[in-house]
Amino acid sequence: MTAHSTTAAPVALAKPSRLTALTHPRVYVALALLSLLLIIPALSHSPFVVHVFVTICVFAGLSTAWNIVGGYAGQLSLGHMMFYGIGAYTTALLIQHFGLTPWIGMWAGAALSAVVAVCIGYPCFRLRGPFFSLATIAFLEVVRLLAIHFHGVTGGSAGLIVPLKPGWAWMIFTEKFNYLIIAFGLLLLTLVVSWAIRNARLGYYLTAVREREDAASAAGISPTEVKLKAVIVSAALTSLIGSFHAMYTTFLEPATMFSLATSIEVAMFALIGGLGTVVGPLLGTVLVVPIAELARGWLGSSANGLHGFVYGTVLVLITLTLPGGLVGTFGATVGRWIDRLPGGKPRPEPEAPALRQITGLAGETMLETKNLVMRFGGLVATDNVSMVLKRGEILGIIGPNGAGKTTLFNQISGFLKPSSGSVAVVSGAKETTPASADAFARAGVGRTFQIVQPFGKLTVIENIMIGAFMRHPDVASARAVALRVSSLVGLHHVREVEARNLPIGDLKRLEVARTLATEPEILLLDEVMAGQSQADTQKMVELIRAVRDSGVTVIAIEHNMQAIMSLSDRIIVIDSGKVIAEGDPQAVVRDRRVIEAYLGEDFANAQGL
Amino acid sequence: MLKVSELTAGYGRTTILQNVSIEIGKGEVVTIIGANGAGKTTLLRAISGLVKPSAGSIEFDGEEIAGASPADIVGRGLIMVPEARQLFPVMTVRDNVMMGCYHANAREGSAARFEEVLEIFPRVRERLDQLAGSLSGGEQQMVAIARGLMAKPRLLMLDEPSLGLAPIIVQQMFGIVERICAMGTTVLLVEQKAFHALKIAQRAYVIENGRIAMENTGVGLLADPHIKTAYLGI
Amino acid sequence: MDVLVQLLLNGIMLGSMYAIIAVGLTLIFGIVRVVNFAHGEFLMIGMYATYLLATKLGWHPYVSAVPITLLLFCVGALVQRFIIQKLLGADEHIQIFATVGLSTALVNLALMIFGADLYSVAAPSARQSVSLGGYTVLSGQLVILACAFALVAGLHLFMQKTPLGRAIRATAQNRNAALLMGVRVDRIYIISFGLGAACVGLASALVTPLFPVTPTIGSYFVLTAFVVVVLGGMRSMYGAFMGAMIIGIVDSLSGYYIAPDLKEVVYFAIFILILIFKPTGLFGFGRGTE
Repeated sequence: MTAHSTTAAPVALAKPSRLTALTHPRVYVALALLSLLLIIPALSHSPFVVHVFVTICVFAGLSTAWNIVGGYAGQLSLGHMMFYGIGAYTTALLIQHFGLTPWIGMWAGAALSAVVAVCIGYPCFRLRGPFFSLATIAFLEVVRLLAIHFHGVTGGSAGLIVPLKPGWAWMIFTEKFNYLIIAFGLLLLTLVVSWAIRNARLGYYLTAVREREDAASAAGISPTEVKLKAVIVSAALTSLIGSFHAMYTTFLEPATMFSLATSIEVAMFALIGGLGTVVGPLLGTVLVVPIAELARGWLGSSANGLHGFVYGTVLVLITLTLPGGLVGTFGATVGRWIDRLPGGKPRPEPEAPALRQITGLAGETMLETKNLVMRFGGLVATDNVSMVLKRGEILGIIGPNGAGKTTLFNQISGFLKPSSGSVAVVSGAKETTPASADAFARAGVGRTFQIVQPFGKLTVIENIMIGAFMRHPDVASARAVALRVSSLVGLHHVREVEARNLPIGDLKRLEVARTLATEPEILLLDEVMAGQSQADTQKMVELIRAVRDSGVTVIAIEHNMQAIMSLSDRIIVIDSGKVIAEGDPQAVVRDRRVIEAYLGEDFANAQGL
Repeated sequence: MLKVSELTAGYGRTTILQNVSIEIGKGEVVTIIGANGAGKTTLLRAISGLVKPSAGSIEFDGEEIAGASPADIVGRGLIMVPEARQLFPVMTVRDNVMMGCYHANAREGSAARFEEVLEIFPRVRERLDQLAGSLSGGEQQMVAIARGLMAKPRLLMLDEPSLGLAPIIVQQMFGIVERICAMGTTVLLVEQKAFHALKIAQRAYVIENGRIAMENTGVGLLADPHIKTAYLGI
Repeated sequence: MDVLVQLLLNGIMLGSMYAIIAVGLTLIFGIVRVVNFAHGEFLMIGMYATYLLATKLGWHPYVSAVPITLLLFCVGALVQRFIIQKLLGADEHIQIFATVGLSTALVNLALMIFGADLYSVAAPSARQSVSLGGYTVLSGQLVILACAFALVAGLHLFMQKTPLGRAIRATAQNRNAALLMGVRVDRIYIISFGLGAACVGLASALVTPLFPVTPTIGSYFVLTAFVVVVLGGMRSMYGAFMGAMIIGIVDSLSGYYIAPDLKEVVYFAIFILILIFKPTGLFGFGRGTE
């Protein structure tokens, strides 16, 4: 998240928090500027100006709604006008065939759009970047062609005229300004929804999923669920605006209602203003649309293609020069100016809720694998591994590189499905095998990654909050918990630094912090000491002991023999996917097989072992 | 032959190496040992031009090469055999090895060198027409080293050649490295398997947390108590 | 039965056309790893250029094929050098926006210069009916079929036997290792993008006698080209060729048996299904650009 939006989120304290948000300078400045969208046309007495502002509101709304999927979730949908068209046609047809007022019809359209969005999103979200975009383009084209084909229903290419019944009930006015009021209202709705998402858990989750899906899963987030929520909201909002715009333009045809060019424009405004920010899409629209409309007005038909050419060129130039858009590039500076206005002082930090108590008998089984096998093609990465994890212990896993330690971790945290054998998380008398990585996390199994996976653009505290959100959906509580964890691991002094600016030692600790914030019962640590100085390693060892003393059971993969020997109650040695030794650290290190496999025959001879 | 001075480098805003200085003389065998993530690979990548250093200098044969393009550096005879082999998986072993002499400076006499290299690696000769991706880890490592040798290296850098290999193969690997050294090639060996590396090196550096922590002869470091605890697990 | 064979024949002819266009797209994605949303506009540029050469200089499209191919090579190389190269390290969505923006700009540029009218090039030699055992094809279509085979064969030889071809394949398989071999990867990318565009250039000259040229002709073909490429496996030239044949036949058959205006729905549906269920394509990561 850019600094702009981070501090733009007024920290919600206790219950009456939302209203105190109005006193924050960013909020009242924004509202004041927004009201200009109504004031300027009202003062101008020109229908043309009103038309331009209606267009601005409509496209800003569309762009803001699109941004929820394209910016927040990072899935570049280039077929979003599908929902616009569905909203438009549904509303128009409901008036035509059932005499249903558009005020209700638009919600029917929104519901239909949401359903379509889920049907498309669910299978397509797993597609990477450009392939997702291609799929959305394909869907848009299919819908457009079907709309033309079924011309009996939709009027086909000849078009459909909206029934023109004047009055508020039918959304047809002679006084153009009334259209602007509705358009403005819809824009306000999209902005509020967008802002609300951004500053709630869903917004953080979307950012996490967008940056690193695996790390997000490890924090208990289901990427598909989160993206589906985003797309439902986005589709519904887009559809509502489509319904309104149909009533405004009064003429519907598939080419304009399901237009790929418009889909691209809407995305473009968001990019120009700042992808993934609340006000970016609005800014982009406000900047570009008036120029285009004016050009169209002055140059008329001789400008055929000119405004499209300008759009395309601007888009290419923006990607080359200002990929963060206006807000991304200038937002931090402008935000600081605004914060100097009255009301911009930071709020006091709230108190953290109590730590979840971990109950259970020491020594009882917490995790059990039976005959675990993992095959990759012809390679057997895990060969019949059976192990038991007992509550309250620190279990060390050692072995040569490539032996299959991380593969084992992946299977006991849900990132890999074993080829055969079972993994069970034991809670009291119940044994469960969670179905996905995020399910494992929610079941209390937290893990770190060997190659750290920080959410680079989020600050340290926000990174930790992603973990805290699993048990504390409220932003304020999550933040409080995150603050406590940051102190525990020694990152409190850098809590507002963006993660991508941290050195490797701090990133390792951040990884552990984020996992700790999910309040796990089992903690899987994958080479957390690697690459750290002696001093840092010692601190990490103390931290792990403190974590165990608070009731968490730990499994650690390590190469640092000194550390693992001093920490572990028990050690398992893995070589070529098999467990070759297990037991007390001192005994394991003297085991012949371990020496041969890991430490080296020559080395053993040299040491006289 | 190679002189690295006060080198600082990293990825994006993360600094990995800080003020690293090492020297390698012609014909020497030098090793750098260190733990995972200590910066060994980053150092090699900086020397071969894959990573641009933010400060410091790298001199090869008296000429500054910090910031030069990888192609330029390869042309001077400074060759790296990267970590985890990095072969071209869907090309034959023959094509892989021949890619080693792609650079204009290495094309001359390539046929003869091909024969020489296959002498050292008879297993590679057996598998010339197989796809590189289908070979075992040890065989792939040999292809990677063979590929490196094809480039007429004046200084050959090996990044963890024993990574992920079974102990017996590891013995073989170090045997081959010794043979290459005996042929007169200057070698910079970066390794995690401290024991083996220190045995065959004349001089050694220890890298910790992006800095050079120690420097000594191979034998000297083998006897050092700190090294024994941290890297040999005693 | 007769109808079916004729339809299959039509399908193969269509397929060979899609093949030449799709092979270029595959080259660009397989090597530079960029989805070139502006690929259709390359075709459009080539077609307008062919039209201009035909009307101003009287050149037959098949003669223009040579300079047009070279022209498009330059266009592709320039796009790579000045746009894509700067964005290679950027987020994927920035790359998408860049090529989408380029596509929009080019379409509208054509609109401004030529207007929305359809232009045709009269090349009667390309529209001769040729009888193949009782079934009819156009001479121009046979030329395209021959060129499609020649193109794939030529590229195969280039990739397998020449040092540059090996370097290109190496870069596609492992960029870092290629750098360590002394391969100038930036240059390889420029050449590859140019090569991909050149294929489309060839296609454009061959296709102009058979199709009218208009600003949106590119998007008409490119969506189908994407379907072909995804079907064939994004990085395989041979997969693209096979995919093109399949789509050509599907196009031809569904146009007749279902409805002419729904045939695109049929192959977009196939496209979506492949993306969802077998994104590596029917022929997987085959050989070709690798």
